[in-house]
Amino acid sequence: MPPEGAPAPVRCLELRGLGGLPRELGVELASQLSRRVALPCRLGEGLDDLTIPWMDERSQVDADRLLGLLEQRDLPPGTVLVGVTTLDIGNPIFSFFFGLAHRGGRAALVSLARLDPVFYGLDADPALTLERAVREVLHEVGHVAGLGHCHDNACVMHFASAVELIDVRGEDFCDNCAVDLPGSFGSGARHVGVNGS
Amino acid sequence: MSADSAAPTRMSILVVDDETIVRESLGGWFRDDGYRVDTAESASEALKLAAERPYDVALIDIKMPRMDGLELQARLLEAMPDITPIIMTAYASVETAVRALKAGAYDYIVKPFDPDELLHLIQRVEKQRALRAENARLKQSLDEAAATGEIVGKSPAMRRIHELIRTVAATDSTVLIRGDSGTGKELVARAIHGASGRRYNPLVAVHCGALAEGVLESELFGHEQGAFTGARYHHKGKFEQADQGTVFLDEIGDISAHVQVELLRVLEEKQVTRVGGKRAIPVDFRVVAATHRDLSAMVADGSFREDLFYRLNVVTIPLPSLRDRIEDIQPLAQHFLGRLGSSMNKRDLRFSPGAVAALQAYTWPGNVRELQNAVERAIVLGTPPIIDVPDLPGSVRGAPALPRPRTLADVERQHIERALKDNGWNISQAAAELNIDRSTLYHKIQKYGLARPVSAS
Repeated sequence: MPPEGAPAPVRCLELRGLGGLPRELGVELASQLSRRVALPCRLGEGLDDLTIPWMDERSQVDADRLLGLLEQRDLPPGTVLVGVTTLDIGNPIFSFFFGLAHRGGRAALVSLARLDPVFYGLDADPALTLERAVREVLHEVGHVAGLGHCHDNACVMHFASAVELIDVRGEDFCDNCAVDLPGSFGSGARHVGVNGS
Repeated sequence: MSADSAAPTRMSILVVDDETIVRESLGGWFRDDGYRVDTAESASEALKLAAERPYDVALIDIKMPRMDGLELQARLLEAMPDITPIIMTAYASVETAVRALKAGAYDYIVKPFDPDELLHLIQRVEKQRALRAENARLKQSLDEAAATGEIVGKSPAMRRIHELIRTVAATDSTVLIRGDSGTGKELVARAIHGASGRRYNPLVAVHCGALAEGVLESELFGHEQGAFTGARYHHKGKFEQADQGTVFLDEIGDISAHVQVELLRVLEEKQVTRVGGKRAIPVDFRVVAATHRDLSAMVADGSFREDLFYRLNVVTIPLPSLRDRIEDIQPLAQHFLGRLGSSMNKRDLRFSPGAVAALQAYTWPGNVRELQNAVERAIVLGTPPIIDVPDLPGSVRGAPALPRPRTLADVERQHIERALKDNGWNISQAAAELNIDRSTLYHKIQKYGLARPVSAS
């Protein structure tokens, strides 16, 4: 269950690899995010000690339970823990997720499995996968910052039910969503996803 | 959340499942998307919630302890026929699907849900509900338009016309509207159609007088490909186009003897045969005809078939000329001033007392249509907001005042004459309106030498 009360201002993003995320992929993702958000964004050690909760019958990670474990980690106030994995995630109700976070929560979970064109029988495209991952992290952190889904289909908070829609929705928060972002994460509308700004 | 505040009002959703994770996952998912969501862990809790507030959609787990999903769906539909139920099931089977759909479910979804499928399902429901609501709104405005109508006038004659329209609209009888040019025969036909059970089906108008015989026949009954030179494709006639609706045959007195025969056959058999065709096509229609001619006189001189006349003349609505209902001139002019003024972005227009007097003094040979044209011209040429005498057409400006009755007997004669006209020369109704008995009325008709016009039925 998401924690109650107003979301705390987001002051820092801490990326942590899960389930054996290749280190270089985590470095590249943290680097891309650092260039796009006006917040400290660092890559921590992989959470290899964490027992991944599996749904054996579906060969998927139970995203609800994994996010629950991330939420329990001890972190400084304002730091959002973003678990990143190449494993496919879902829950008993939904057949898959690109990412998962509770509104006003403390952690987010992003899976690269279905962001990779190879999953759909296409040629590998690491740059595209990385771009999608950046957008998905921003989307989930937006939830942590208290945002719901946005009706503006160009906004990064627009719901993407299919991977193509992640490409369509862009990387910026629309003006309405940017206004509602708390703390330094929200200072300066639309700054979050804009290169070099 | 600002994103939601800028969004349109979304549907309200009730999620009913005994599994906490389903309620939490779906509830959170829909809330993030801006929907109003309530969750219930049992059928009884769902019914309690539904008794307190209406829901647009109910997502119901088929398998729950005590009351199952299908029984809950039936109870919800009974209490809220407008709700859209969607059944959730853990096992996809044809039997489950058929049971759910037969019991009134809009659709069913299988756990675990593909987010894309669930999103499209909800969007489909949203669109369907929006269309349903729009359809209801349109039907309501159609009903309102039919109820108020464009037929303006509170004179006794027009009150009787309104009454007649209401009476005949409820039946499927053929109606013949009689009246001079410009008296609003088509408006009456539209009002009858609009107030009838056929109002959601087409009203197809045919101006018989404007078409040559061959063209009219093809227009009315349609034609087959190659029926005549230029008939490259088959063509549905007006009767076929008006299936389950109304055919308005304007200027019926102008049709040729040949078309009269064909028309009579269609009216009697309720089926049409296209020109050049052999197959009789059954059609469900109601006929409203109109004419400015005296059909009974035409029957007498042999230019109109008697059998067709009787087939058309089941119910007759005689429309009075505008000069016979002076009290309606001002409200009619005011009505046109408001409607036409709005369409020309000229609001709050009004007539000067002089203009009203001039309008009332004129005899209006072109009837309501002429009045409408005169008002339109005055709006275009006049200086808002007052429409004054100089803004009116020359013919209206120069109209001599109606001769005033000189004696008490003149007043009585004119008053009786008007009552008879207003009531279509129905002696009982005219006597009732004048508050005298029938024999007194007969005596006065004789005394003043009043005669029923030949055209009156």
